[in-house]
Amino acid sequence: MPTRDKDARERRDAARAARAAKAKPAPKKKKAAEPPQPPERPVTRVAEPPGKRTASARNPLFPIGVNYYPLQAETQSWDDWYDRVMESDFAAMAESRMSFVRIFISWKLFEPQVGQYSEDAEARLGQIMDAARENKLQLIVTFFADDRLAELLEVPWGKKRDAHTDPYLLQRETSLIQRIVNRYRSDPVIFAWDLGNEAFLSGFETKLQLEAWVDAMREAVREVDPDRPILFSVDPETMFRHTGVDPRNAIDKGEIAVSHATAAYRAYASEGPITSGPSTYLDGFLLHSAARDLPVIMDDIGMLSLDHSVAEESAHVRTVLYTGLMNRASGVLMRRYRDLDTERREPYFRDPFEVLVGLIDIDGEDKPVMSEVEKFARVAAWVDFKEYTLVPERTAVLIPGERYEPLPNLAGLYDPRACLEAYMFAKEAQLPVSVAREEDEFGAFSVLVVPSAFNLTDETWERLASFVQSGGSLIYSYGGGEAHPAVRELFGVEFLGDGGAVESLTCRVAQQDVLGSLEPFDSTLTLPHFALLGHGGGTVVATDSKGNPMLVANQHGQGRAVFISMPVERALAQGDPWAAPTEVKAMMRTVYGAVASAAGCGAQIECDVAEVEIALYNGESDDIVLLLNHSPVAVTANLVFDRAVATISDVRGGAPSQIGAVGLGVALEPNGAASLRVVYA
Amino acid sequence: MSGRSQQVALAEGLARQGHIQPAVEACYQALRIDDADPLIHCLLAHLMLEGDFYDEAIEAATRAIEIDPDCSPAYLALGLAYDRRGGMWDQSILVWHELAEVVPDLVTAHVQLGEAFSAAAFDEEAIDAWRKALELDPHEARAMYNLAIAALRKEGVATALPGFRKAGELDPSQDDFFFSLAGICDDGTPAPDPDDVAEDRESRLEAAGALAFEEDFFSAVEVIRWIFDEDHDDADALALSAYLYIKQEAINEAMACSLRALSINKRTRTAIYCLGVTFSKRPGLNEHAARVFGALAKSSPDEPIPHVLHAEALLGLQKFSLAEKAYQTAVRLDPTCVRARFGLAAVFFTKGRHAEAMWEIRRAAYHDTRRQGLFWDLYDSYTEGSS
Repeated sequence: MPTRDKDARERRDAARAARAAKAKPAPKKKKAAEPPQPPERPVTRVAEPPGKRTASARNPLFPIGVNYYPLQAETQSWDDWYDRVMESDFAAMAESRMSFVRIFISWKLFEPQVGQYSEDAEARLGQIMDAARENKLQLIVTFFADDRLAELLEVPWGKKRDAHTDPYLLQRETSLIQRIVNRYRSDPVIFAWDLGNEAFLSGFETKLQLEAWVDAMREAVREVDPDRPILFSVDPETMFRHTGVDPRNAIDKGEIAVSHATAAYRAYASEGPITSGPSTYLDGFLLHSAARDLPVIMDDIGMLSLDHSVAEESAHVRTVLYTGLMNRASGVLMRRYRDLDTERREPYFRDPFEVLVGLIDIDGEDKPVMSEVEKFARVAAWVDFKEYTLVPERTAVLIPGERYEPLPNLAGLYDPRACLEAYMFAKEAQLPVSVAREEDEFGAFSVLVVPSAFNLTDETWERLASFVQSGGSLIYSYGGGEAHPAVRELFGVEFLGDGGAVESLTCRVAQQDVLGSLEPFDSTLTLPHFALLGHGGGTVVATDSKGNPMLVANQHGQGRAVFISMPVERALAQGDPWAAPTEVKAMMRTVYGAVASAAGCGAQIECDVAEVEIALYNGESDDIVLLLNHSPVAVTANLVFDRAVATISDVRGGAPSQIGAVGLGVALEPNGAASLRVVYA
Repeated sequence: MSGRSQQVALAEGLARQGHIQPAVEACYQALRIDDADPLIHCLLAHLMLEGDFYDEAIEAATRAIEIDPDCSPAYLALGLAYDRRGGMWDQSILVWHELAEVVPDLVTAHVQLGEAFSAAAFDEEAIDAWRKALELDPHEARAMYNLAIAALRKEGVATALPGFRKAGELDPSQDDFFFSLAGICDDGTPAPDPDDVAEDRESRLEAAGALAFEEDFFSAVEVIRWIFDEDHDDADALALSAYLYIKQEAINEAMACSLRALSINKRTRTAIYCLGVTFSKRPGLNEHAARVFGALAKSSPDEPIPHVLHAEALLGLQKFSLAEKAYQTAVRLDPTCVRARFGLAAVFFTKGRHAEAMWEIRRAAYHDTRRQGLFWDLYDSYTEGSS
């Protein structure tokens, strides 16, 4: 039982319930939360003001949810599983325009003895369902989760058998799933069935074990509920990184995918401040990487540690939420609703549980992050995905297949960082960009970026050659070692060998405007390799100080291939991405941007601040433009549209500002975001 | 333990040369022969650390320690991996404690221990650890910077600034900058005996500079005196005198020499530097120091130190945004500049940007520990002890 002052807790709960009840004589509250009146559109010379636009309280196509953990304090016991008044919490979530909540089943509580299910547990689950129903929330029910606190999986009769592989336990798991699913199969309160969370799924040692388990559990759900979506809360990239098990086939068996930047993955791929640099692009990168023809929910958004100020917490959460909306997420799920009340064990009281930082504090008071979520929900509610469509990503960063090779091949460790760096350059060039893998079809893309790969397969080289031949554009940066024979014809260069490491990089522009407006520079950057190239028919666009070709562009068939003779992305990612030479970054942005523009998939809106990410939602009579500042300093983004803008207004409403020009400036706070409705002249 | 196997020797040789990929492959080959050799795991940990692959480094170092709990280089690799990865401060504290016991005179262990304590919000313990580091080595700049940061967080910029300056003085890069302005570099040739110096002005100035470089200040003064005997209006010699006075803490004399040198030739950059330093050492003259160092930064735009000095003066004036800009320039010019990193951390703390501040401190530690190359010292001692 909790050791904290229960009276105080009850008082708080009662107060919140009262607050919620007060707010609930709902029609009133709902009315208040009802769609604000559509902004009055100014009568412009050409564009008709959009007429009937309104926003509902929540965006059904972009749900916002939160993980609701069984225990609130470290001192609670496993049988305190959701043993609390939940109505007030759920009312507060609904008030914040959240749509769904994830809860976690306790196998230990549900099945205390083999085949005997606890009525008390089922009653508590029923209470959760009721509370959700009452507040018009939907639930994601996670069957097998490890929250490292509530002993959810530790069935006493399990006798330490492995819940991942033991046939008897698998049978019991199936029974548990079917019992719960059967009870709620036609209940609209269920949003999706989640078979397992990352902590549980990471216990599989092989891909085959994982797939066999997923098959069995999925079958168990489908026997009873053929319709409700099934998901596995695991990010393909982070899980592979942490366990060496590739879960992509397993994920494909579900209806929803999940992306999740874990603390460990963040430390690996983009260690550093969370409010600037690669770290702010990581969630978007993983989101695109997780998208495998399935809708993707961004999971576990929130703080990873208590090291940050509240302003930094808010900035981080804001950045991730907008990243989701700007990069095709199908919803977002916050890390935790309430802070975990940890037991202080001096002197080493910091432990993994403590990093579970929520939206409200242990006293039930909203934290600033909560207001960020609310604000974001209001914006998201106004983006009608039926009316507005995001400009398609026709540029992709290609993750090489070598990324899946085990140690001692270091490519698997270097490549994700290089790919994230390339993704960031593309974003800084304001390109709509996605992530593809070597074995994926390239047909959906016009530009492929292969950043600092050590090796690609022969088959991939053939596919790349035919991709370029048929009109695609390829940007390839040399990763070291022997070059593939296909390089000669594709890039029009004669590979003379690896010149080895260099400590500085000089760029002399030989052909201006072939790859954008490149600027010559001398910079200090340690590069592990530098390809020595001879002329083979390609256009040498830039050279180093000794005249070695550094950037070569070659027309191949109907397309274009650009060879960068050093692994710039890897070097910058391995160096200090927060102190990377600006001139080198500018060169990469320029090259990426120029190639994409020439391929017809360049920046839709030009912007003079590289750190500002832009997403353009095209509508019938107007567009929605979302801007996100990835830097911790305030900036003014000067935007240039391809046609004159008549008016702009905040997407949530408000008086439109008359523009009457193709360019306009938008002031953005540190890590700030803006959502604009743009009406063209 | 028997002598090192051929495979380990191969892996070690490759690792020492910085060939990470082949060294890792050699380690894996060696592990296939004997996976219970702590040296291989230890080498692997170091290689993974070199590639910034912290989880892999932690795994390998932990394995080495499991095999041999006295494997000091593995403790170092493990502690550094925890610290660089971040978010594992409790484990890090334990490791540094352990290493400080295994190698009591390892200053870095105490500095790192302090940083881990600080990150875990044990401020008093952190201060004790840094003080211990300074007891062991009074020239340990990073411990001093950390103490200055601790003072800043507790009591504000005014209290912290002298600490920063003191730490800066411990940092040899500032002196190196003066000598680079004076055109003196370490070419391996020892400074001449004053009696052997040719009697022309150039030779004397060069010799005085070389003697100052070798910290033989009295001989340097003697040679400079001969220059003044010939021409007491020699601006370069006056600037060098100013530098020597600064090293002797004779700030008024240094200021006088600098001003005299500049009145003779206002483009004497060594004198500008010395004047700036003297201003910065006098309370209330930060504004002058900022102007002087600003001019110096403009005249040496590609050197990080003048930007750092400029930033420190701006920090003293509490012009945090300008200081941040100057520090950023310095970091851009030299990402390994520990002094600029700590300065930037100070600015970020004053602006409430804690995560970035902590990151700068971690980054300073990253570059400082890489520069020290302690792993190989411990590795060599360990292998000698083992054999």
